[in-house]
Amino acid sequence: MASSSSSNLTFKLHPLVMLNISDHYTRVKSQSAGPPHSAALASAPPPLRVFGCVIGVQRGRTVEIFNSFELLFDDSTHSLDRAFLIKKQELYKKVFPNFYVLGWYSTGSDAEESDMIIHKSLMDINESPVFVLLNPSVNHAQKDLPITIFESELHIIDAVPQLIFVRSSYSIETVEAERISVDHVAHLKPSDGGSAATQCNPPLLIIVECLIAASFVRDKTPMYSAIKMLNSRIRVLHHYLLAMEKGDMPCENSLLRQVSSLLRRLPTVESAKFQDDFLMDYNDTLFVSYLAMLTNCSSTMNDLVDKFNTAYDRNSRRGGRTAFI
Amino acid sequence: MNLNMNSAESIVAQIQALSTTPRDISQLHTFLKQSDDLIRSESTRLASSLTQLDPSIHSLGFLYILDACTSGPAAKEQASEHVLTIARFVNACSTEQIRLAPEKFVSICKRLKDEVMMLAAPIRGIAPMLTAIRKLQSSTEHLTTLHPDFLLLCLSAKCYKKGLSILEDDIYEVDQPRDLLLYGYYGGMICIGQKRFRKALELLHNVVTAPLSNMSAITIEAYKKYILVSLIHLGQFNATVPKYASTVAQRNLKNFTQPYLELAVSYGTGKVTELETCIRQHREKFQNDNNFGLVRQVVSSIYKRNIQRLTQTYLTLSLEGIANSVQLNSPKEAEMHVLQMIQDGEIYATINQKDGMVRFLEDPEQYKSCAMIERIDSSIERMMTLSKKLTAADELMSCDPAYLSRVGKERAPRLDFDDYDPVPQKFTM
Repeated sequence: MASSSSSNLTFKLHPLVMLNISDHYTRVKSQSAGPPHSAALASAPPPLRVFGCVIGVQRGRTVEIFNSFELLFDDSTHSLDRAFLIKKQELYKKVFPNFYVLGWYSTGSDAEESDMIIHKSLMDINESPVFVLLNPSVNHAQKDLPITIFESELHIIDAVPQLIFVRSSYSIETVEAERISVDHVAHLKPSDGGSAATQCNPPLLIIVECLIAASFVRDKTPMYSAIKMLNSRIRVLHHYLLAMEKGDMPCENSLLRQVSSLLRRLPTVESAKFQDDFLMDYNDTLFVSYLAMLTNCSSTMNDLVDKFNTAYDRNSRRGGRTAFI
Repeated sequence: MNLNMNSAESIVAQIQALSTTPRDISQLHTFLKQSDDLIRSESTRLASSLTQLDPSIHSLGFLYILDACTSGPAAKEQASEHVLTIARFVNACSTEQIRLAPEKFVSICKRLKDEVMMLAAPIRGIAPMLTAIRKLQSSTEHLTTLHPDFLLLCLSAKCYKKGLSILEDDIYEVDQPRDLLLYGYYGGMICIGQKRFRKALELLHNVVTAPLSNMSAITIEAYKKYILVSLIHLGQFNATVPKYASTVAQRNLKNFTQPYLELAVSYGTGKVTELETCIRQHREKFQNDNNFGLVRQVVSSIYKRNIQRLTQTYLTLSLEGIANSVQLNSPKEAEMHVLQMIQDGEIYATINQKDGMVRFLEDPEQYKSCAMIERIDSSIERMMTLSKKLTAADELMSCDPAYLSRVGKERAPRLDFDDYDPVPQKFTM
């Protein structure tokens, strides 16, 4: 069930889809679970699955998944709500005429047998749908995104042609506007008690943390730590190479080849256009910090002047009693 | 007679003996303070014994004797040697010792200034005065009484660059308010002389808005120059005195500076002829105030202002068109003006001499260069030091008893005394 896909389709996933799925899951979970700090929920609740449709564009060998919407799963017929799907599809067509139904999504730790039924039922809309699976269990050791994309392939197993799911690799694709909103979500602080919110939002948090680790979110602190890490690793490599040169360590040719290929990639960072853009960005950031310092100074000055006026103002207020809470 | 000789020698002996360790020096200081009158009466005799003392080691004693010698009315012949002695002393003296008696030091430096002015050679006093300031200041942010005298010497000697070096320092501490007024006024004049109008505007603005209890002539003069410089540099003048100026200033400044305000109004119309009639009307007053040079600069700046206004309306304009709208006499003159402005960096344009057209361009600064990075970086650093100073001042203010008593007075009547500690009104040990 888990071999890698042999079709050469490249999948591009937008963060909006991931956020939608995790949001859907969290909402349903919090609505069904009741108050989070009730002690009755000692045992693990039955795994909750949410379902929905993913839409996007397929250009040649590239499949780009832009958006998603939710669907109700009918337990009795083991199928998705077809009428609703068609209605939603028409609505989306009006706004995004390019988008097609590319497949469906669900939550869980791995693809199940029953999912194949749903998968087959979608085949009349799209002959080769994709299945996006989100793993909502919190696993901090895992550094990757808890999302897997499955395709269906016809394999011969036990002399019977069967459709099975195969994993596909994917990459994250984003637009500028999405970056801002993901950045915003990444900095959400729960306004009520912290623990309650984080308990309801584990998949959201994981996804956001992983997105940050994927370092295309324009947040400065992770970038700073990433650069620090890069710096320390280069230092280690440098030290190692020096030791190799001196003869303290045995020469390892494969490593040397990798290092030389890495070095040969560097000149792309030296062009004039890069300098231009880099300096412009640098200047922008400096301006922002300058502005911040100015605001800071004016705020301190404001406080100082207020205090001065309270202390030394000769025209005191009449009556002396003002609202001072 | 003998007694007098003895006492003079004993003073010199004491000075020589007690000028080594800091404890000795403070002892010497008290001794000198007590024998101040004696020193004054013995000044002529002690003057000859100055040669026995070394200014760098016996600075304090030297200072007292020198002060006594130079405090009487000085004749012209003596002035020159006084100047030499004082200058030599100032260059050689030790900083810690003179800081023990700052008033005496200030008075001999003022003496120096008077004497060089009397000798009509102010340039001789500039270098010693500069060293004196640097030795008297506790830090570069400290404004001493010597600053305005130094600036006055620079102005009289027309050595503006030396004065500028002092003006570059930001001031955070002031000894006496009158120093600040004079410093701002003279500093403004020096900057005008060097054509650094922005700094001049800043200094004059400080003088105009300084806290005052009574009207001061310095403020009035400064306000007049402020009007003129703001017309030259900014092209406009806001006739309302800023709100944070003292109430005395706000009420009275307008009465004393009427002709200048009228000048500002006629400048605002943008018509050169009106400006010139206004100037002709008040010509005498301007000349009496020694401001006529500035007024002439105002006239030349009105052409610049008008040309700058043209850049906002036209993309390209012929030289004749410029000459007509700015009321210049010929296209040649217009070309000269525009060329000068381009060189000064006041507008961005290209002149096509073949068909006499001028094309106005945008500011080509892309903010992409390393030089810009360094500029912003230095500004951020300055801002950070300023922020630290402001926070320190804020904390100082929060501990101020006047402030605390006011705050406590407002709070105490409304709340239970059990719940909150009343703010201590007086802290008695």
